[in-house]
Amino acid sequence: MRIFQKTNFNFIGHRKIAYGISLVLLIAGFISLAVKGLNYGIDFRGGSEVVIRFEKNIDVSTVRGALDASGVSGSLKQYGMDRSFLLSTVFRGDTGELKTLLLNALNSRIPGNRHEIVRIDAVGPSIASDLKLSAIKALLASLLAILLYVGFRFEIKFATAGVVAIFHDILCVLGLFSMIGGLFDFMPLEVDQSIIAAFLTIAGYSITDTVVVYDRIRERVRGQKPADYERIFNESMNQTLSRTVITSGTVLLSVLVLFIFAGPAIRGFAFAVFMGILVGTYSSIFVAAPLVFDWVRLSKSAIHLRGGQKSS
Amino acid sequence: MKNKRFNLLLIVVVTVVAIWSLWPTWRDYTLTKQVNSLGSSRDSLTFAVNHRDEIENARKKSLKLGLDLKGGMHLVMEVDQVDLFDQKAWNKDEKFFAIMDAVRAKTVSSDERVIDLLASEFKKENIPLSRYFYDIRNTDKEVISKLQKESEDALSRAKEIIRNRIDQYGVAEPVITTQGSRKIIIELPGVSDENRVRNLLKGTAKLEFRLLREPEVLIRTLDKINTYLVQNASAGAQAVQADSASAAAVHGKPVAPSPAASTGKVSSRPLYDVVGVYQNGTAFTNEHSKEYVSSLFHRNDIQALLPPDTELLISAKPDVNKTGEKLFTVFLVKKTPELTGGVITEAKATFGSQGVQPEVLMSMNSEGTSKWARITGANIGKRVAIVLDNAVYSAPVVQSKIPNGNSVINGIESLEEAKDLEIVLKAGALPAPVRITEERTVGPSLGADYIRAGMLSLLWSFVAVSGFMLVYYKKAGIAANIALVLNILIVLSVLAGFNASLSLPGIAGIVLTIGMAVDANVLIYERVREELAEGKTVVSAVSQGYDRAFSSILDSHVTTLVAAFLLYTYGIGPIQGFAVTLMIGTSASLFTAIIVTREIFNGLLGKNMLTQKSFG
Repeated sequence: MRIFQKTNFNFIGHRKIAYGISLVLLIAGFISLAVKGLNYGIDFRGGSEVVIRFEKNIDVSTVRGALDASGVSGSLKQYGMDRSFLLSTVFRGDTGELKTLLLNALNSRIPGNRHEIVRIDAVGPSIASDLKLSAIKALLASLLAILLYVGFRFEIKFATAGVVAIFHDILCVLGLFSMIGGLFDFMPLEVDQSIIAAFLTIAGYSITDTVVVYDRIRERVRGQKPADYERIFNESMNQTLSRTVITSGTVLLSVLVLFIFAGPAIRGFAFAVFMGILVGTYSSIFVAAPLVFDWVRLSKSAIHLRGGQKSS
Repeated sequence: MKNKRFNLLLIVVVTVVAIWSLWPTWRDYTLTKQVNSLGSSRDSLTFAVNHRDEIENARKKSLKLGLDLKGGMHLVMEVDQVDLFDQKAWNKDEKFFAIMDAVRAKTVSSDERVIDLLASEFKKENIPLSRYFYDIRNTDKEVISKLQKESEDALSRAKEIIRNRIDQYGVAEPVITTQGSRKIIIELPGVSDENRVRNLLKGTAKLEFRLLREPEVLIRTLDKINTYLVQNASAGAQAVQADSASAAAVHGKPVAPSPAASTGKVSSRPLYDVVGVYQNGTAFTNEHSKEYVSSLFHRNDIQALLPPDTELLISAKPDVNKTGEKLFTVFLVKKTPELTGGVITEAKATFGSQGVQPEVLMSMNSEGTSKWARITGANIGKRVAIVLDNAVYSAPVVQSKIPNGNSVINGIESLEEAKDLEIVLKAGALPAPVRITEERTVGPSLGADYIRAGMLSLLWSFVAVSGFMLVYYKKAGIAANIALVLNILIVLSVLAGFNASLSLPGIAGIVLTIGMAVDANVLIYERVREELAEGKTVVSAVSQGYDRAFSSILDSHVTTLVAAFLLYTYGIGPIQGFAVTLMIGTSASLFTAIIVTREIFNGLLGKNMLTQKSFG
């Protein structure tokens, strides 16, 4: 079976259109980030979260009413699974008090329906700012490491374009999170630690796809004249199209399974990785390689590549 | 073909080690199943007793589940370094307190080290650190490095003490680590009574024996505070308003009338609105006013009114009066303790002489014993308060000299609490107060849900990806799927072998690995197809395919490894679990894709079982 027979798309020729699409995506994301901002989870904003599960079906407004009447402040939302609710409140060092407060409120006001507190998370403000800092450090360090490695294996132009593509992918996903965060109850898309893990996964995977394309270009470009670069880039991208799409496809399959089956704690992560890999596949063909091409064209120098495969 | 033989051997060794490492997990699973399947609880018990060694052994070596899957508590505690530095200082004056307050305010919002904040605050005021710390001849730099050392010591001591407390409380496989300069991370799997654990952990357990001042002095001091509060009515009113909840409670529910407070207008007696005094000279406050009174006693301006070297403290437990009101006693004690908890060698929770009141018996080392004998001998007829974490547990009158170094804490509500006191006293006092800054608790039922969700994801992801490989690449897909199974085995066995635990994010990492592990094979197979399309023979297409795909496989795996490694380095807790499985999975996939599938093809080629059509 084959998805792509021999293809012959003129990727490089149409790169301006792709640049346009990317710019629109990025600008839309930036506007949303500036206007609406992000929906931070407690990891990054500090606070307490309690997941309460009831034995029988119950309406969210009933629970909210019971909590309001007992003076428990905070926002209550339906949480993933059936009969479960997520209460977010301010941080309290002693979650025991919060728990007692909840138990009293729910036992006295909703007596016919037993409940269970299945999870309590509390993150203090100092921890939250620590987590934020290490998230930023991890992202920057991984981008730098990728830049160095790809620069060492290929050439600095290739590495820079690859890292630009990663930035592009992460910003697109971040913009998407800002745009549709909080719109769906089953998927609140809060930015927490798991989303940072998603971004690093996206970074690693985006460059994977890009490297596959680069590798073919490296193989074909050796000893060729700069005038032939456009043809070689196009041919290389067409030849690797099938690989690029299938490798992304298998990962997308896995992530889709995670999104469906792994429950609300993983859903935001799965969504981020799914979108990131989609955008990453697009960017390795339409952003990274065309950027290298433009850069090489403008600098008017031939490509000198390091590395390569075992001699054949 | 020496290389080939080596590869085959390597594959066999890896597979055997993986299965060997996962064997206890399998045994653990089947044994547990067997125990549960037996009809009566008696049968299960006999079976468990008969196979005790085997069960314990399997359990010890089996794959551990993370806190989120098993249920349990994850706590991050912070050592209060401001308090620690405060303890180290001497010559303290108003200026010093003001600076320390500023530092404390800053630590809440700043990421900087407390020592740096301290240094910069002192610099701002142009005061050398040595005025308050260590020797006057020390430079700022020396003081900073000494204090830094001090705080590192405090952190590791706090960690050991917390470990002692947890060990004595009895939690299976707790994990206690430090992070940075002031954090202690505590993981407690399967803890059911979170409240008790929390109380056990957060107390400093600073035990002190302090002499009580005479009742007349107490009453004189309270009068003085009252007068001061009247004079500063506006300031007092503000303070009351600031604590509106307790103030409202006070006005709505006045404390029992006392001889001293029965006459006069309410507004002119701000202190006696919340503190009552009995004729015998005992002062008390009710449970609604306790918090306000305590904050009042902590105010610097109030403390300045007290006789030198004294402090006002409130009892730990209330007495219940006839009307059912809970009353806390107020004590005036000497600030300098006669003796501290450091001399305690043994503590034992038991019931008191009447057999109903729980209490904790303590014995002291020889130094403590002789001191205690001297103190009790010199203060017969006086009262000594037994103070734990600044709350007075009891204040017995010294009847006679105590020569044997025994003492007792009573005024404890339950035996459970007495047991916890025993634990914290035995473990020793923390060098500085700690507070909980992060807590994540997962109940066992949610853990079971997570396991089910994780297993479903693993299963479906495997079915989807391996199904796709079969359909798309036919016979070659089988090889890739064998490699995939081996890959998952390796990930699980490495986790089990290194005693790492599997968490929900970890499972997500494995699911993602399933998708990524076949990538390498996809790269190779697509290359082989290209070579075949150019008209090469199957043998040379396979070998060219592997050789030529190698560099892109290597590059793409290294970049993923780098990202996962940095995630591991900078992430904490659950995210590290994800990073670990991703790292193992990616490394394993290099091995399975490049060596395992290649050997399968070599085998098939040798038997002429591979044709052009085998690659779909």
